Amino acid sequence: MLWLDGFVQGILLGGLYAQYALGMALMFGVMRVVNITHGDLVILLALIGISLATTFSLGPWSVLVILVVLGAIIGVILQRLILNRVVGADPLPSLIATFGLSIALQNAMLQIWSADTRSLGGGDIVHASFQLGPLFVGVLPVIVLLTATVLTGGLDVALRSTRFGRALRAASADVEAAALTGVNPKTVYTGATAIAVAILGFAAVFQSLRSTVAPADGAFQLIYAFEAVIIGGMGSIWGAFLGAMALGVSQSVGFRIDPGFGILAGHLVFLIILALRPQGFLGRG
Amino acid sequence: MSAALLSTHGLVARYGDFQALYGIDFEIAAGEVVALIGANGAGKSTLLKSIMGLLSVAPGMVQLKGRPVGGAKPHRMVAAGVAIVPEGRRLFVGMSVIDNLRVAIDHAGKSAANGWTLERLFALFPVLKEKQAVPVQSLSGGQQQMVAIGRALLSQPRVLLCDEISLGLAPKVVKEIYQALPSICETGTAIVLVEQDVGLARSSSNRLYCMLEGRVSLTGRSTDISREAIGEAYFGGAHAVA
Repeated sequence: MLWLDGFVQGILLGGLYAQYALGMALMFGVMRVVNITHGDLVILLALIGISLATTFSLGPWSVLVILVVLGAIIGVILQRLILNRVVGADPLPSLIATFGLSIALQNAMLQIWSADTRSLGGGDIVHASFQLGPLFVGVLPVIVLLTATVLTGGLDVALRSTRFGRALRAASADVEAAALTGVNPKTVYTGATAIAVAILGFAAVFQSLRSTVAPADGAFQLIYAFEAVIIGGMGSIWGAFLGAMALGVSQSVGFRIDPGFGILAGHLVFLIILALRPQGFLGRG
Repeated sequence: MSAALLSTHGLVARYGDFQALYGIDFEIAAGEVVALIGANGAGKSTLLKSIMGLLSVAPGMVQLKGRPVGGAKPHRMVAAGVAIVPEGRRLFVGMSVIDNLRVAIDHAGKSAANGWTLERLFALFPVLKEKQAVPVQSLSGGQQQMVAIGRALLSQPRVLLCDEISLGLAPKVVKEIYQALPSICETGTAIVLVEQDVGLARSSSNRLYCMLEGRVSLTGRSTDISREAIGEAYFGGAHAVA
């Protein structure tokens, strides 16, 4: 029973990790842009959301809408101002530029919000749960998992069969050839980053409802997102979802082995998969 | 000449400190096939890259129907009606044949006078219809070249630039691809052919330009130019062979 509970809670936790991982799958997996600010943007959006909720006494769903729109705007600014200058075959310039930005963001957040941990009040839904056979399952984690599933499915379809998705895949395969076929790479990349950061708006709300956020927490979200994308296979959207599930289950089961072992268990599973199947679950060998 | 669809005027191009082109005057009219020949490094591909906006040139150096378009970004050139079959094909690896073609359809130029459709393309290269769901990297070289040509055609070009489309292909396949050229020109599309095979370039073009060390060394009607003249223009007077 302990193990079944661990598994189910892990899948639910994976729903949250999938929301971190989807934007990363798009930017790192498809565009090959390394965005170190990924986790910091989750925290930034969450802190903005918490401040908005307390200042204007907004409910979590209004905050969600605002953060998704705000995330898209931040994505456009990030791409136009910084990433368009460093995007290319070499991932190093984007890594260095966003590493610097990550440190600047963390310090700016510390300045504005201080180092306190905060969370978003969500009312009854945060504590509601229902019985599923022998297990108690939280309503919020189920909403998180369903949201992650819908986002994954939607993003996968968008990449496969829309004008935007084809243009993005073409630009990722050969940016010069895509431009010679009429694609404006900068427009396509801007759209992709806007989507990636908008998804972080979902992650920000659910993270701050489920647990707490503080300015220096971004590194965790960043590493979970990277691990999920690599476990699942670069370039595969459903792969990132599965990778997030694997990470969630490993951590959750790890916690039940020993409370101090959970996070480490996730990293160990990541390393084992990297050694045994470096191309990931759904990656092309 | 006012009849020119695409023209270059004293076009100068450089890669950093290295000057690759020294004042190229080139023109092509609607429905014409013009071959561009010359040794490796003569500047043929550089000329095509300059026209497509991959190298920066002054606006007046490239003109489309007399309008200055030099230095416009590649996607703007496609929208204006110039498409290229790039050297080495440059297909979108990992995507199916049909998705490669759809990228071109999605972003086609507005000059749809020549009305290329998937049906017309599949009539020209029937094998592409059979293989449309297959990832491009699993096609043969000749089939990949057909996808590259199809992708350029579906951009609805008024001028199609072909960079070494016979390179690395079996003679039979080259013949098959060159046989498709007349039906491409039918609707007024002009074709610029960069070709290593001088005989093939001559027999499949109306006019030709021979380039040598970044300059045009010879130009005229393909049927009028003798092999000797080409030989001299190709290698430079001192090394004249032929």
